[in-house]
Amino acid sequence: MTHPKHPTGAQAILAAALLLPGVAVQAENAPEHASMSVRYLDYRQSQPGLDLKVHAPALEVEVPLAAGAWSVAGTLTADDVSGASPRYHTAVSGASHMHDERKAGTLAATRYFERASVSVSAAYSTEHDYISRALGVTGSLSSPDNNTTWSFGVGGSDDRIDPVNHIVVGETRQSVNVMAGITQVLTPRDIGQLTLTATHGHGYFSDPYKLFDTRPRERNQYTLLARWNHHHEALGGTSRVSYRYYGDSFGVRAHTFGGEYVQPLASGWSVTPSARIYTQRAARFYFDPGADPDAFPDAVSSGAPGYASPDQRLSGFGAVTLGLKVARQLGPDWLVDLKVEHYRQRGSWRLFGDGSPGLAPLSASIVQLGLTRQW
Amino acid sequence: MPAFAFRAMASSCEVRLDGLDAHQAAQLAQLAIAEVRRIEQKYSRYRSDSVVARINAQAGAEAVECDAETLSLLDYAHALHQASGGLFDITSGVLRRAWDFGAGRLPDARRLDELRRLVGWERVERLGAHVRLPQVDMEIDFGGFGKEYAADRAAALLAAQGARHGYVNLGGDLRIIGPRADGRAWTIGIQDPRRPDRLAAGIDIGSGALATSGDYERFMEVDGKRYCHILDPKSGMPVSHWQSVSVLGPLAVAAGSCSTIAMLLQEDAIAYLDQAGVAYLAIDCTGQMYRRDL
Repeated sequence: MTHPKHPTGAQAILAAALLLPGVAVQAENAPEHASMSVRYLDYRQSQPGLDLKVHAPALEVEVPLAAGAWSVAGTLTADDVSGASPRYHTAVSGASHMHDERKAGTLAATRYFERASVSVSAAYSTEHDYISRALGVTGSLSSPDNNTTWSFGVGGSDDRIDPVNHIVVGETRQSVNVMAGITQVLTPRDIGQLTLTATHGHGYFSDPYKLFDTRPRERNQYTLLARWNHHHEALGGTSRVSYRYYGDSFGVRAHTFGGEYVQPLASGWSVTPSARIYTQRAARFYFDPGADPDAFPDAVSSGAPGYASPDQRLSGFGAVTLGLKVARQLGPDWLVDLKVEHYRQRGSWRLFGDGSPGLAPLSASIVQLGLTRQW
Repeated sequence: MPAFAFRAMASSCEVRLDGLDAHQAAQLAQLAIAEVRRIEQKYSRYRSDSVVARINAQAGAEAVECDAETLSLLDYAHALHQASGGLFDITSGVLRRAWDFGAGRLPDARRLDELRRLVGWERVERLGAHVRLPQVDMEIDFGGFGKEYAADRAAALLAAQGARHGYVNLGGDLRIIGPRADGRAWTIGIQDPRRPDRLAAGIDIGSGALATSGDYERFMEVDGKRYCHILDPKSGMPVSHWQSVSVLGPLAVAAGSCSTIAMLLQEDAIAYLDQAGVAYLAIDCTGQMYRRDL
């Protein structure tokens, strides 16, 4: 073959790519209040046998979704189990497998009323190893004084799975979910919010492309999210606390406690200490792959004979994040802030019980310096 | 953490968003998925109403007027052709007509010769917003970077809407919006090119993009030799030096183009990637790994 000359090949490619419309991060619609920040991030993570340092300067353009910090919370999709260990993988990069026959379509419509909105969505996609259909309706309604907003939703999905490895043939999975939420202005200084979600699913939940992954054919999931924002008149500060409960019939139970307090000080300074505690009980049939990814699962010791999964999202662990942010407003438009956060995760830190022993402990520190221009 | 899986561009895709409540995340994910589908509909060569199909249908006949986005993509294709010494050529898709990977048969040499004469980006005529393929049966397609372009567009759209933490993964080509809400990077596995159930490696990334090209997307084996779908536009023959090349870069579209060009450069790929200054992981035909960290 010929040997092409490419003295500036890659640089030329990046320069050309940056000329493509809409690929670089930028605000596409001029928002009412936007901000641009320059940030410098220093990230250090340590784990036995794996240390990582990242220094990342970043330019951010921020477009707030809505004026005011609160939005109506709820969900139309099944809540995923959060809490990954970086020893395992969250996504795979690979050349995709191409198929020549394929159909897909989605349709969504939202109707807005004076104090309400209704949204209907439908999705369909099919391929030779997979067919998925989903339908959902969500709505919100506010009281005449706008002090109360109710939201609700129902949805369902119907999937058919025919993996190419023929581990299973003609499998299906159905789910229905309901969501209800309320946001209430309690006093001029307090806003509370409560959201409940329940999902019932039955069918094939295992990962056909993962070895030793056999999960029950039925799953119920429940999520409760409570939030409370309070403005402290005497101190001039605002506290935000939240609690989230997640439980499912696989045996996963998770609690997240979060809190932060913003205290404005004289001369444009403010400090925000924050803390978050996460704890999760492993699924009954989770097994620790440990350091050896080929370890054969001991289905008997996993406590649920016949079921097994090495998925890290189903493991048991606890994590704590502590943070402190110091910010100074310089005039009406400029803000400088320094944020320090420390994250620690251990299998043994699970609250109310034992965590998964095979998870490597993890800690990470983040120092971030930012300069923001608001307009 | 909310994750939204969908299928588009003949691939498994996922939008993952952290640090948002589920309702916000679902709304944003819908925007991103709609953007991916828009690009797919506009540029799929399988759809007779796509821009690409319209240009191809007029090969040897009329010039077709294109909009600004299409012209930008054609400009990008031109830059890739230049930067790769002609190896990356969006008119080379015609060669697939000779290669039937389902049949397990090598193409007829004369047929391949005929098709090679239809390849040549330098012959495509551009005048203002008009594009014309000069010869009947010539065709273009954006398959070489359409998925990566869509990942970049969707991620930039999410960032512009206020998303800070998450990524868009279109069939293994990823553009990161930002690290997890607690600041930790995402850990992305690299597919083992010979064992679909295994990962060859993993990488932690909190920003930028990761794209992989490989010889395992479509291929056939004839007399023990593997013939994959990545074809050298000059010889019309499949490349064979690399099982896969993964590249990290600020944009998915640039990372994907570098990984494809590396596949096409065969034994010259490492020199090219080293000089490009990108982080990469390449696995050669014997399974040996070459990497560069930044």
